[in-house]
Amino acid sequence: MANEAVLIDIESDFMRTPEKVMRLDRMGSSFPTRLSFMRTLIRRMSEENWKFERTLRNVDKDGYGVSVYSAITPKRTYSLIAFTQEIPADMRTDRVIAEVWDATFSLFDGVPTQDDIDYLSNNTPLQEGGRYRPSELVLARANKSLRVFEDIISSLASGVQPDLELISSVGYLMRTTAVYGSGKFGCADREKIANREECKTPFHIELLAVYLIRWFTIDMVEELAKERGGKKAVRLDKNISQFIGVGNSTGLGMAPFLLKHPALIHNWVVAKETALARVRSIETALPNTIEVFLRSLRQASQHIDEWNVADEVQSARISLLTDEIQALRMWCEDESNIYRPYPWNGIYQYVEDNFSLECQEMVVSLIIEPHGSIVDDLADTMSTSSTPKFKADMTLSQLKEGVEDAYNWATTIDFSLEESQHHFWYYSEDKLEPRFGSKGVDEGVEQEMPLAIGRDVHDLNKVLQVIDEDMPIGEFVMMYPQFRHIIRRIQNTFERPYSEVQDNLLSESMRPLDLLRFKLAFFGASKFDPKSDLWTRISMYQGAPLPDQIQDSNHDCWSYPIAGRSQSYPCVNCLCQKAI
Amino acid sequence: MSKSDLTISLNEVLFYFTRAGFGVNAPIGISEDFARSNIWIAQNGFDPSECSLLALDNLDSQKSSLSIQFEKSSNGGHLFCPEDNVLSALEASVSCVDWIEFNGINGALKVANVDCPLLVVSALGANQCTGIKVLWIDQSNNLYQVNLIDDGKWEIIASSESPIENSSYADIEISAFDASEKTSIKNGKLKTFNVANEKLKALNSGVKVGDKWPQIYEYFSRCLVKSSAESRASGAGAGLVDTD
Repeated sequence: MANEAVLIDIESDFMRTPEKVMRLDRMGSSFPTRLSFMRTLIRRMSEENWKFERTLRNVDKDGYGVSVYSAITPKRTYSLIAFTQEIPADMRTDRVIAEVWDATFSLFDGVPTQDDIDYLSNNTPLQEGGRYRPSELVLARANKSLRVFEDIISSLASGVQPDLELISSVGYLMRTTAVYGSGKFGCADREKIANREECKTPFHIELLAVYLIRWFTIDMVEELAKERGGKKAVRLDKNISQFIGVGNSTGLGMAPFLLKHPALIHNWVVAKETALARVRSIETALPNTIEVFLRSLRQASQHIDEWNVADEVQSARISLLTDEIQALRMWCEDESNIYRPYPWNGIYQYVEDNFSLECQEMVVSLIIEPHGSIVDDLADTMSTSSTPKFKADMTLSQLKEGVEDAYNWATTIDFSLEESQHHFWYYSEDKLEPRFGSKGVDEGVEQEMPLAIGRDVHDLNKVLQVIDEDMPIGEFVMMYPQFRHIIRRIQNTFERPYSEVQDNLLSESMRPLDLLRFKLAFFGASKFDPKSDLWTRISMYQGAPLPDQIQDSNHDCWSYPIAGRSQSYPCVNCLCQKAI
Repeated sequence: MSKSDLTISLNEVLFYFTRAGFGVNAPIGISEDFARSNIWIAQNGFDPSECSLLALDNLDSQKSSLSIQFEKSSNGGHLFCPEDNVLSALEASVSCVDWIEFNGINGALKVANVDCPLLVVSALGANQCTGIKVLWIDQSNNLYQVNLIDDGKWEIIASSESPIENSSYADIEISAFDASEKTSIKNGKLKTFNVANEKLKALNSGVKVGDKWPQIYEYFSRCLVKSSAESRASGAGAGLVDTD
């Protein structure tokens, strides 16, 4: 909590307001930054000199069986136990309702015994159908990319490197379709590990599992190629293997998470916005940072060129982004635009005034990037153990005032219109799959998940207009118990103003995709590839160092990777001190 | 998950009990607090389904009510169900916490005819209301005193061997705990709890739930929506077969 208290300077002139930041259209344009969790995890691995070992490989000639990959940190070992099996092609689905997967994983807390492996062999392949113990930290599964997986094995087996264009078009060998932690299906609760240094940052343990899965996929194709090609087989070129990430398919499950953890989300957003505010408030640019930024624009352009998606909306946005980054580069060629007081604020302001949200958010990421020395400490402030509490000692007049100040976005929505309450969120009895329904079309509105924040505030506000303001809030909720949860939420927002999505999540025009991208960007995901308004594919760890590269001086230089190149993001943060 | 004798995580307690409360028509805010109370129960080594099922059953069958009213008394206050019904512990527990937050522990708070007294205790514990004594005689004439001493320690003094989680239908009195004051329970059996130790056990071994769990799951499952061919095909966006 101490960290949470020191960093917030919401009054700073350079801090963007919650009203600006927490809107779906901007959230849905997010990009990863150097504070994203994958970036901070890789930095920790390097700083603490983590070791990685494959400790078991008990598979047949087709790669089916069990393997164990371990990460050895200064104090503990974490082991990824991977089970692989043959499955029918028509049973591969990215959905929660899937029943089989090419590979299934448990991240074990420590070094598993044979008994542990035997226990998990009867459970992990069943995923949600199995039961797990507090010794298991993460449960995950992945399917092969049919376009790439076999092609790479064949190429390597015959002694040639795989087609880079093909790899670039997919970006990964396997795609995870769920990564569960925090007590799901009996796994360890977050609290068990929350005080461990290596687990303090949100989602680091889940992202460690994903990092090990990425290594497992690369190791697997190399081993299968060797099995098939014998002496003729070659290993993947380092530049290619580093470019290979691990895919992920993300659906609606992430959206309720965001809404159910307002205190946590506030901390994430405040950290990022504080980083941006710190950079914008620099009067004279730090040495080399402007030059690094200019080079990074070039790299970002190439990265965008390789970001190809089928989705029409995203494709148009990428196309516009390409033009805008080009225009920004030209604007930056006029030195008077950038070599002046408060250069970063000038750049940010120019982009905000002239370009799309997609471009604005990418530039936020790019201008934060060279400033590790002044922003990296914020990574330690992004977790929380706080749970919003109902405060019975608040007066109704305080509550009313707070609603007027912080929830104008909700109280001004006309919920009598059908389009304002078009959607509802629910859990299906089908493996508890989260789904998004339309009123009047889909059944289940009575079992709606309590995510209608705007509508609930709106309803509360109506009652507040006619009730005696002197009534204690504890007495009010005795009369109106249905408002208890929304009052608790509003009270939390008073203390944590960046915790609330300031849009109507029931609206006909609402795209859950925006929530997914917002959260995935905090994870560090890239190459957002929407498949509908409800789910997206992404790449994780693309360009990140592999286990044997964690100690390389450029371990932190993997933003906006480009296919087939040594990852060479211009950098002033790490020991590599690339020529700029 | 619907089978008995499972080991579940604290996060699963939160997930399932919130929705079980909602499943018997408790408002979501109260259901959230109910689930947090059950986490506290679980962290202290009890089976939360054993402690909570009666309260859920009563709400479901309308043997209890969420209606509540407060009256000031000369020595504190009085919470009761105005419908002359059993007061649901789901409502009694949040109202007690609110009252203490608003008033502190000046005088005594009496709560009439609550179906599951331990749920009230657990709500107080979950909200770090300490320095408090909770006293009741249940319908079987068992006498209980629970002392929430500080953040790390609490104790039960009981007049019988009967498990506190089965104690039901009681008038409760909540007042300040005075360590120097002797308990009114003669020959009471004392059981003390170290919250940190108990919690560590729950985190390392999980929470065991017994034969009442399937009914909790049944209430939970009322929050689930039947799957149709249409919702299966389109409700989650992704296809039924996905390759790349």
